[in-house]
Amino acid sequence: MSNNTSFITLLSPMIIGTLLTIVALACISPSVSQPYASTDTTIKKISLPASTISLPVSKLPGYNLALQKCTICHSVDYIHHQPPGMDQKAWTSAVFKMQHSYGAPINESDINSIGAYLSVVYGTAKTDDPKIIEASKSTVSSSLSTEIIDVQVLLTNNGCTGCHDINKKIVGPAFKSIANKYKADTDAISKLVLSIQHGGSGKWGSMAMPPMMNVNNEQAEALAEFILKQ
Amino acid sequence: MIDNKKHLVQKSRRQFLRNAGALALGVSPLRSLAATDNNEGVSLAGGMRPLVKYPEKRDLILVHSRPPHLETPFSVFNESLITPNDAFYVRYHLANIPTEIDLNKYKLSVNGAVKKTLQLSLQELKSMADPVDVVAVNQCSGNSRGYSLPRVFGAQLSNGAMGNARWTGIPLRTVLEKAGVSPEAMYVIFNGLDKPVLPTTPDFKKALNIDHALSPEPLLAWGMNGEDLPFLNGYPLKLIVPGYFGTYWVKHLSEITVLDTEFTGQDSYFMNTAYQLPDNDCLCITPGSTADKNRPISTLPVRSFITNISAGDTLPSAKPIELEGIAFDDGSGIKNVDISIDGGMTWLASTLGENLGRYSFRPWKLAVSFPQKGNAIVMVRASNKNGEVQPLRATWNHGGYRRHAIESVAINVT
Repeated sequence: MSNNTSFITLLSPMIIGTLLTIVALACISPSVSQPYASTDTTIKKISLPASTISLPVSKLPGYNLALQKCTICHSVDYIHHQPPGMDQKAWTSAVFKMQHSYGAPINESDINSIGAYLSVVYGTAKTDDPKIIEASKSTVSSSLSTEIIDVQVLLTNNGCTGCHDINKKIVGPAFKSIANKYKADTDAISKLVLSIQHGGSGKWGSMAMPPMMNVNNEQAEALAEFILKQ
Repeated sequence: MIDNKKHLVQKSRRQFLRNAGALALGVSPLRSLAATDNNEGVSLAGGMRPLVKYPEKRDLILVHSRPPHLETPFSVFNESLITPNDAFYVRYHLANIPTEIDLNKYKLSVNGAVKKTLQLSLQELKSMADPVDVVAVNQCSGNSRGYSLPRVFGAQLSNGAMGNARWTGIPLRTVLEKAGVSPEAMYVIFNGLDKPVLPTTPDFKKALNIDHALSPEPLLAWGMNGEDLPFLNGYPLKLIVPGYFGTYWVKHLSEITVLDTEFTGQDSYFMNTAYQLPDNDCLCITPGSTADKNRPISTLPVRSFITNISAGDTLPSAKPIELEGIAFDDGSGIKNVDISIDGGMTWLASTLGENLGRYSFRPWKLAVSFPQKGNAIVMVRASNKNGEVQPLRATWNHGGYRRHAIESVAINVT
């Protein structure tokens, strides 16, 4: 796109390193700043590599919750690169902080469940520990067919709007782009329901959508209908 | 001298392992040993941190990828006194970071308790005053957090979340004076183009006291080591706060707000709740306890490193060996850097090298000779002109912030 980017792409990191060292050496005399050449282009653009680290698979319900909720705001390596040897209490309080300080859309039951899972796969806890079992079984079921479905509440609680905007691409595609892509597809609703519940394949970009396993069929259909109307 | 220095041990064990790993690609024992190097002695729940390539950067150590957080391999600090732009560490808090910036559209907004609100393009900023330079260390508050004992959650950094660069820009106060700061002003708040993913997450905003903001030190910088700022270090404009931890050095700076009130609300989180130290003499607490009162982290304590040897290196006995390294502080000025090669029993004064300014890394060197064969502990201890001396043992705080204890390097003498 810009001259700047292509300039960087063309040079190997080693050459850039050498050039920068030369520049650094050239500017060592203190006080008044020396002018330097800046590129003419006004647009500078970067593209970021995707994360390659995924969460350890587990049968604990906290695994799916972690896949869905944690990756709204940060990559898995954030968790993966924490200290070893942390216990269930420590991991659960770390997850609590995500809700309390950073506004993660997780309730108390999610916090306990995710904390239990993380302390088993990354810490000192064991799957068959009664405390882990207790913390893991409290996941609230939201599959009652009598409940009133509010799309706005679903979008917020599942963190959809963290990655999707109606009009513009954030991390995921704009809802308008999705609607446009599927406008002639008679099977659009079921395809979107599948993507919502089981996650994306990364067809829109480097960041694949996490599975939203807690979203039931009625909720996923309501979300799909909402998206396709945009 | 700031020319490229050579690592004392030409082929350290770690370099050998890395080379071997590169040749025997996919051979797991060598690869995992080589990868250990990236953790630099820090154990992690998920294993080793990979080296990764990001735009305008050489291979750096991955802390996390979204948002980007990259650590400088420690060997870089042995290359030159100035940290090259492509090796300089990267740290974001919020995942909606800008990936495209058009200078025709970019504006710095100056608002709040001012006579006149400003909307400045980069070009307008550049022509407001003669540019000034400062060489200053940017060190992350959590640099070396991985060595905190007991361990604490957070980015498990080794010692590479720091760098020393020549920053070019104009004094912050030039812009504040142009806007006309209210006599009632208390704080100046800084915000960048990086945004939270969710509306419930606090934005990353930092505050300086008005007196500090109007002092000559803080800069609005567009240049780093004679080039435009690398994108991931805050292009096109970054707040430079010499002597202060990196958390204040707001990237992609887009808004400056003068407050004539306290800084409160959701977006004051990174100022008033995060980045806090216990508010007592030692800025520390007993592990597991809670401080009665906290205060925001601020200036850099005096710190030093040996850069041309690393843990596990093998050095010859009874032969002069020139040790080299760096020291830095909050701008008070480095007074002495002392070295011990006997585990802290006796200390020898090193010679300080070129002075690039009081906020810069200060190089030191000292020729030593190891009298006997076997294991040896080499230690480095700096003091500054404000009477601060590095402590022997690290104190503890809940955030793993502000580590600055004496560094020890265990080597083998043969």
